[in-house]
Amino acid sequence: MVGMNEVLDGISELAAFPQTVLKVTSMLSSGKGSAAEIEQVARNDEALSMSILRWANSVRYGHPGRTFTLREGIARLGSSVLLKIVLEQKTAGMFASAGTAYDLQRGALWRSAVGGAIAAESIARSACFDSPDLAFLCALLRDIGKLAFDAHFGPEYISLVVRHTRPDRTFVEAEREAFGFDHAGLGAELAARWNLPDRIAGAIRFHHDPPASAPAHDVLVDIVHAADIISLWAGLAIGCDGMQYKLAQHVRIGLALDRAAAEQLVAGMWDKLRETEAVMAPYTEQGAAI
Amino acid sequence: MVSSPLGYSKTEVNGKLVIGVGDLLVSNDPEALLVTYALGSCIGVTIYDPVAKVGGLLHFMLPSADLNKEKAAANPAMFGDTGIPMLFQTCYEKGAKKERLIVCAAGGAEVLSDDGHFKIGSRNRTLVRKIFWKNNILIAGDDTGGSNSRTLSLRMADGTTVVRTQGKERGLWSA
Repeated sequence: MVGMNEVLDGISELAAFPQTVLKVTSMLSSGKGSAAEIEQVARNDEALSMSILRWANSVRYGHPGRTFTLREGIARLGSSVLLKIVLEQKTAGMFASAGTAYDLQRGALWRSAVGGAIAAESIARSACFDSPDLAFLCALLRDIGKLAFDAHFGPEYISLVVRHTRPDRTFVEAEREAFGFDHAGLGAELAARWNLPDRIAGAIRFHHDPPASAPAHDVLVDIVHAADIISLWAGLAIGCDGMQYKLAQHVRIGLALDRAAAEQLVAGMWDKLRETEAVMAPYTEQGAAI
Repeated sequence: MVSSPLGYSKTEVNGKLVIGVGDLLVSNDPEALLVTYALGSCIGVTIYDPVAKVGGLLHFMLPSADLNKEKAAANPAMFGDTGIPMLFQTCYEKGAKKERLIVCAAGGAEVLSDDGHFKIGSRNRTLVRKIFWKNNILIAGDDTGGSNSRTLSLRMADGTTVVRTQGKERGLWSA
């Protein structure tokens, strides 16, 4: 049976995390992300500058008859929006071409990453969580373990894991049966190799099995877990794993998620996702198959 | 000719016209193959008139537009109770007749632990049956429920409707 390190050691394309994202992640974790710092990062990155300009002049943030420069755009968008632009744009390349292992169309994993991130931010705001941006980031990265499985096994993955699925068994349980670990644990190990902060790695590790009680309990994990289920209800990245996941009862109760709230989150996510896709098209064109 | 009443751009992949989540497509092009992927709790509805050779595919997410009238007005295909009438109406405009239409549905899956609190897939299934029952329309082929992902396709040449789940294909309707 292949080990976790063996999977991670063999995937050179995921060996390094984009430095720009690492800088932004560090700003987020320390709570010191400012527009000035992000401007500095953006100025050294042409693709990122273009992305900021597109958003600043988009229907939502632009102004009819006026075109904003990079500096004006940065000021207009604000640090929170800028952070998301950096994250979305810089992770698009990682996610865009993956998905074969899970029987997904190209681009489906990236769409799910962004959709889940949008849902996580909304849930975080409703729950008065102190860092909606951190929730956005963790949800965006929650399935990096799927990228690792995808890069290592490719299409062979499905046959290895599907034989372990049962109607009453979650897909992560089937992965554990097949490999001894699941994509959440694999993603957390990858996050650790990228030197991401422990709390982010923890959110990735437990996003399907959020601890219910102290000291392991973390509202951030609950939010990412709920956002993952919301993205399933929204029809995002449903591949060979189907809907074979569970929503933890303590999360449903703790975040006051009822049917109406869940459906509002599903519907609200789509508007923002379509807008993001329209602006991000140059970076995800090859993966825009679904 | 292929048309989307919602005006979203359609993606053609390997000769297939791909319908995304919260979208619908109607066609009278006999060469066309309409496909929608990743049906989880969402439901895909196909309709086909074998005489006029007009048909369409809807992929809706949520059962009722009562959730948000504004969103439903902007995107009727997001909801079953606005998307299904739009699918039928658009086919009628291309010459389809209600009495000839062959209707199939797939999707409506649930997450494993939904102890009756959300039941989004189940409510989508109920909505589909309710609308068709009220309109005296029989569902010719149905593959709904469970927890698996589904891919649904409609071949415009003859109305063959196929659902694929975990690598296995099953015909929902064929001439």
